[in-house]
Amino acid sequence: MSQPAAALKKPVSVKKVILRVLLYFVVLDVCIITLYPYFAMLCTALKSRNEIFGGNTILPITALWSNFIDIWSRAPMAKYMLNSILIAGGSTIIAMLCGIPAAYALARMKFKGQTAFLGVIIVSQMFAPVVLLIGIYKVMLNMGLTDSILGLIFINAAFNQAFTVWLLRGTFMGISAEMEQAATIDGCTRVQSMMKVLLPVAAPGIVTTLIFIFINAWNEYTVALCLISTDTLKPLTVGINTFNGYNIIEWQYLFAASIFAIIPVVILFMCIEKNLVSGLASGGVKG
Amino acid sequence: MATLNLKNIKKVYPHSGGEKKSKKKADAGEKKVNLQVTDEGVVAVQEFSLDIADKEFIVLVGPSGCGKSTTLRMVAGLEEISGGELYIDNQLMNDVEPKNRDIAMVFQSYALYPHMTVYENMAFPLKLRKTPKEEIDRRVKEAAEILDITQYLDRKPKALSGGQRQRVAIGRAIVREPKVLLMDEPLSNLDAKLRNQMRAEIIKLRQKINTTFIYVTHDQTEAMTLGDRIVIMKDGFIQQIGTPQEVFDHPANLFVAGFIGMPQMNFFDAKLEKDGGKYTVSVGGCRVELSGEKQAALAARNVAAQDITLGVRPNHIVLAGDTANALTAKVDVSEMMGSEVHLHANANGRDVVVIVPTLDLKGDTFGIGAEIHLTFGGNVCHVFDREGKNLEF
Repeated sequence: MSQPAAALKKPVSVKKVILRVLLYFVVLDVCIITLYPYFAMLCTALKSRNEIFGGNTILPITALWSNFIDIWSRAPMAKYMLNSILIAGGSTIIAMLCGIPAAYALARMKFKGQTAFLGVIIVSQMFAPVVLLIGIYKVMLNMGLTDSILGLIFINAAFNQAFTVWLLRGTFMGISAEMEQAATIDGCTRVQSMMKVLLPVAAPGIVTTLIFIFINAWNEYTVALCLISTDTLKPLTVGINTFNGYNIIEWQYLFAASIFAIIPVVILFMCIEKNLVSGLASGGVKG
Repeated sequence: MATLNLKNIKKVYPHSGGEKKSKKKADAGEKKVNLQVTDEGVVAVQEFSLDIADKEFIVLVGPSGCGKSTTLRMVAGLEEISGGELYIDNQLMNDVEPKNRDIAMVFQSYALYPHMTVYENMAFPLKLRKTPKEEIDRRVKEAAEILDITQYLDRKPKALSGGQRQRVAIGRAIVREPKVLLMDEPLSNLDAKLRNQMRAEIIKLRQKINTTFIYVTHDQTEAMTLGDRIVIMKDGFIQQIGTPQEVFDHPANLFVAGFIGMPQMNFFDAKLEKDGGKYTVSVGGCRVELSGEKQAALAARNVAAQDITLGVRPNHIVLAGDTANALTAKVDVSEMMGSEVHLHANANGRDVVVIVPTLDLKGDTFGIGAEIHLTFGGNVCHVFDREGKNLEF
């Protein structure tokens, strides 16, 4: 005999309600802590210089949207942004072009010294760029790549290589090798089976890696600061220091420029976010 | 359509550094049962020789780790052949790339391409061979019709059930009309009902397409129902090759006798006696004269009287009315299966299974500990020496 739905419904306990409220409180706190710097950055970017140094309000009294326009005339912002796009884009392409075959070989082939090789790769990731700075500078000097965007592309690609190889190796290992074997029997060469089967299936992992490298290269500051001296070759991270003068710091322009610096990364993330959704690989093999 | 000749095929997986160390450890202590470890490496398959006729359906069957899948993968070109020769249509194939062997393969895990639709999956091998579009369309639709998956052509594999996915995998294999169709445990991932259904589908498929099949399974029912001939393997060696009836009626050794047939054959410690030119076997209180065919086979090999292992299939043992010339056993478990009862009993220190048709019971019930008397005919006895070899061979 079926009971009425109301009788089956469990009463919500007070303890559960309190726990739920506490959970929301913690989530809200985390959101505030994470987002406050961005909020402060936006507020400062909208203030006048007098208000920044004189006023003590968080919100701007009058929002000066003109700050966002002024920065383009006060510094070669477009050039900085283009440089950053070239450096981040270039190093992402190189890191992926080198990383995909390396990760494929490490995931699918067996060779002597494989474990040691993987160890060396991960150890190379442990050196902070600052430690290697002098060495890098000397190498770049010998190659004639100081004060050059190409030099920064190579350096950023190299810095991200270890992570690329490790992450992609993990992605490839998670995909059944039988799929590629089926492709080779169907008529693919090894390269074709990688291009036509493995890479499309590994797309979520590849996109994750791609975003990571792009963001890392986009945010890189130390090496760019040391290698680039010509103003028009500076990436955005170094270029926005123009507003950080000897006598005065133009906080409103510095923060307005910083907001522009975030935008391309956010756009990139939004464009390929759908690829990050896992599950694309499901269904091909028995799970 | 093709003939295949496998001549003394061998597969050895060379040692890596780590395995050498573990081998030393294993030598010092326990020994791995299934794997034959030599200085060369781990031997997975050896002395594998088989001639497969055009359009023949060969089933490789054996327990896990016996080398059946490795053999199939060597035929496919996915594993290097360590020794021996593989010929397809009299052409040596040892070093030929998988794509140039004109074979197709169905994997246990389906191995479908998840980013492609069913149609694209099936069209993929044809596209790679630059087949004209109209021809691809015709062949894919034809294969889909045979496998009854026409309505799923626009779906991605993740939107299909296990059985449908396996049909797509078979479709992708047959659409190319390959010389040889290899199947690596294609039904293992399906539930029992679907497996039976798909098994029947494969039998039907076989009649529709003209190709040579090599099918790998660990399920002896699949082997018996599908194969023209079955190859029973153990520890990398072929144990017996023959038609399903041959290996069932005349198992070459104890392993084949135990592996083929469900429930498995009963084994007794017995004596083979030769009395006035006639061979008899005696076990417990039961003495049975072997049939004329078996007498002739043993006499031809001049087999002497000796201690033997006697094999009798559960459905060949009958309940005797009295103790005269019968083997006495005590029932441990009685399983009612509907049309028959499986009696698990203990006779002469060995576990025995007896299948009794329900109609023969005449109201008898067998509780735990009940005493039963068993007998069998001389034509159903399988006589093995103490090493496990069938003395008739």
